[in-house]
Amino acid sequence: MNDTVLILSTVAAIASGTTLVLVSVGEILAERAGVMNLSLEGMVLMGAVTGFWGASATDNPWIGLVVAMIVGVAVSFVHAVLAVSFRVNQIVSGLALFILGTGLSAYIGEIGDTPLIRRPPPRDLGSVFPEAITDLPVVGPVLFGHDALVYISWLLVAGASFYLFRTRRGLAARAVGEDPATADAAGVSVALTRYVHVLAGGALAGLAGGYLSVVLIGAWQQGFSGGLGWIAFAMVAFSGWRPWRALFASYIFGGLSSLGLTFQLLDVPIPSDFLLMMPFVFTFLALVLITSNPRLSRKLGAPAALSIPFRRESR
Amino acid sequence: MSGVVAWVRSIRIEPRPRQSALFKLLLLLGVLSAAFVAGGLLLAVSGFDAVPAMRLMITSGVDSELAVRSTLILATPLILTALAAAISFKMVIWNIGAEGHLYLGAIGASGIAILFVDGWPTWIAVSVVLISGALGGGLLALLAAVPRALFGTDEVTSTLMLNFIALFFMNYLVLGSRGLWRDLERPNFPTGEPIPEAAELPLLWGSGRRGLHIGFLIAAVVALALWAVIRSTPWGFELRAIGDSRRAALYAGMNVKRKIISVLFISGALAGLAGAIEVTGVLRALEPGALAIGLGYTGIVVAALARLNLLAIVPVGIVVASITNSGQSLQTLGIPNSVVVAFQGILLLAAAAGQFFAIYQLRVVDRSAVALEGTSA
Repeated sequence: MNDTVLILSTVAAIASGTTLVLVSVGEILAERAGVMNLSLEGMVLMGAVTGFWGASATDNPWIGLVVAMIVGVAVSFVHAVLAVSFRVNQIVSGLALFILGTGLSAYIGEIGDTPLIRRPPPRDLGSVFPEAITDLPVVGPVLFGHDALVYISWLLVAGASFYLFRTRRGLAARAVGEDPATADAAGVSVALTRYVHVLAGGALAGLAGGYLSVVLIGAWQQGFSGGLGWIAFAMVAFSGWRPWRALFASYIFGGLSSLGLTFQLLDVPIPSDFLLMMPFVFTFLALVLITSNPRLSRKLGAPAALSIPFRRESR
Repeated sequence: MSGVVAWVRSIRIEPRPRQSALFKLLLLLGVLSAAFVAGGLLLAVSGFDAVPAMRLMITSGVDSELAVRSTLILATPLILTALAAAISFKMVIWNIGAEGHLYLGAIGASGIAILFVDGWPTWIAVSVVLISGALGGGLLALLAAVPRALFGTDEVTSTLMLNFIALFFMNYLVLGSRGLWRDLERPNFPTGEPIPEAAELPLLWGSGRRGLHIGFLIAAVVALALWAVIRSTPWGFELRAIGDSRRAALYAGMNVKRKIISVLFISGALAGLAGAIEVTGVLRALEPGALAIGLGYTGIVVAALARLNLLAIVPVGIVVASITNSGQSLQTLGIPNSVVVAFQGILLLAAAAGQFFAIYQLRVVDRSAVALEGTSA
C-alpha cells in the first residue's frame, strides 16, 4: 500500500467516522444520564431527509444542518416524554421511534412535486483552512483538509468529555445515570437532567444525519445510512461510555467501511461482509470481556441505572 | 412562561387504583383511534386524501382471498418472533435479537435441507428442517444468554450486536461467497441455492408461492401451547415469578441463571423457526434480501401491542401483517408504501403511551396543596 492510498483512506475514515462520532457522543450523553435511546438510526434518517430538504430548498447547507438538528431534537423529545415522564419501557419507545423514523423518512423523501430522491446535491460547506495550508504534504489533507463539521465534532468530543468528567453539572448528570435516588436527594432534578441529555443526543444524531445527506453524500436515498445509528450505538458500549474513546473507535470502524473498497482494489482476500461485521463483533466481545471481570466492569461498565425509569417512592 | 412551568410542576403522576374491563376496552379504542387520527393527519398534511387511504389501510389486507392468504403468510413469522420477544420480556429479559435468530434459523434450515433431505418423505424432511432452523436460532441466542446468566452482560446490546453479525454472515453466505447456500447455476446474479422439493412446506390453501403453508397453523398452535405451558406448568410459574421479582425468586430458591438460559434458548428457537418457515414455505432458498425486512423488530411491535399476552399475539400479528400488506394498495392512490412502516411506529408509540395511562393517572394538584404535602412528608 503506498502513501497516497494510506492518506486517502485516512481522510475517508475521518469523514465517514465523523457521523459516527456525532451520534455516539450524543448517545453517550443520554446514556450517562440513564436513558437508552434505541432510535438513533431513526433520528439519523429523519435528520438526513429533512436536512437535505432544508439545504436543497434554501441552497444553504448550514440551514440544512440546523433543520436536521431541530428534527433530531423533536424526535428525541418524544422519547424523553415517553421514557422519562411516562416511564414507558425505553426499549419499546426507542424501537417505536426507530420504526417511525425509518418509515417517515422514506415517505418524506418520496412525496411532493420534485421528490427529494430526485434532487441535485446542495452546495458543500467549503474548506476551513486556506489552500496554502491544505496543500502541505500529509498533514495538509489529514489535519487541515476537512470541512468545518469535522473540527466541530472534535470540539464536541473535547467539550463532552470535559463536561462529564470535570464539571459539577457533569458529575450531577452521571449521578443521575448511576443512582438517581441519591442524585434526587442531593437536589438534582432527575427528570430535567434526563430531558436535557436525551435532547442533546437527538440534536447530535439529527446533525449527523444532515451531515451525511447534505455534505458527505449530497443526496437522499431511502435507508441510505447503512446502519450508522446502530454502529454508533455499538460504539457507545465499546468506548466504555467515554467520548474520546468513542472518537477513535469511530474513526477505526468508520475506516473499516471504506477499507472494503481499498481491499478489493488491492486484492486482499477479506470479504467486505466481514469488515462490516467488525464493529459488532468487537463490541460484543468487549462487552462480554468487560462484564466478566468485576474490576473492568466498574471502570468501563454501563451506568448502573441505564434504562431504568426513575420514580420517587413517597409521592 | 413561569405559568406553564408552575402548571407542569403541579401535575402529579399517581398509580391508577383499579382497571375495569370497560376501561381497558376504552383505552384500546383510544389508542387505535389516536393512531389512526395521527396517520390520517400525516397523509392529509402531505396532500393526500386521508379517508380513502385509511379505509384502504384497514380493508385491503383482507378484501380478497389472495389478500387474506398474503396477510396470513406474513403474519406467520410475525407471530413467532413476537412470541420469542414476549416470553423473554415477561421475564424482564430484553431480548431484541429475534432478527438475528431468524436469520440463523433460515441459514440452518436451508443448509440442512440442501445437504440431506433430498428424496426423503415430506413429513420427515420438513420436521428435520424446521427443527434445525429452531436449533440454529436457539444456539445464537445462547451466545447472549450464557454471558447474561453468568456475568449479567446487558442483553439489549449483546442481542443487538448478534443481529448484525448474523445479518452480515447471511449476506456473506449468499452474496459474498460461493459455498453451499449460493446458487452456482446463476453466476452473475447472486441468489440462494433452491432447497429440495421434499423440504417445501405442504400448503393448506391455494397453490404456489402465494399459497398458505402449514407454517401459519404451526405458529398458531405454538402460541396456544406456549400460553398453556406458561400458565400451568412449574417452568411457566418460575418464569412469571422471576418476571415479577427476580430477588424474590432467588430467595425462593429458583435457579434464575438456568432459567434465563432456557428461556432465551426457546426464544431464539421460536424466531429461528420463523426463519425456517420463511425459507421452506415462502422463499424456498436462503434469500438475504427477502429475509432482512425487519421481521424480528416488527415482532417486537406485535408483542408490545399485544401487551405480552401470548394468545393476543395471534390476532395482533394478523392485524399488523394486514396493515403492512396494505402498502401495495396504497401505491395505487399514489401514496408511497413506506407510509405503512411509519404507521407501525405511530401505532406502537400510541400503545406505549396507552400503557402509561393504564397504569397511572394524571392529577393536577394546586400549589398550596403541594406545599402541605411537602411538610407532612
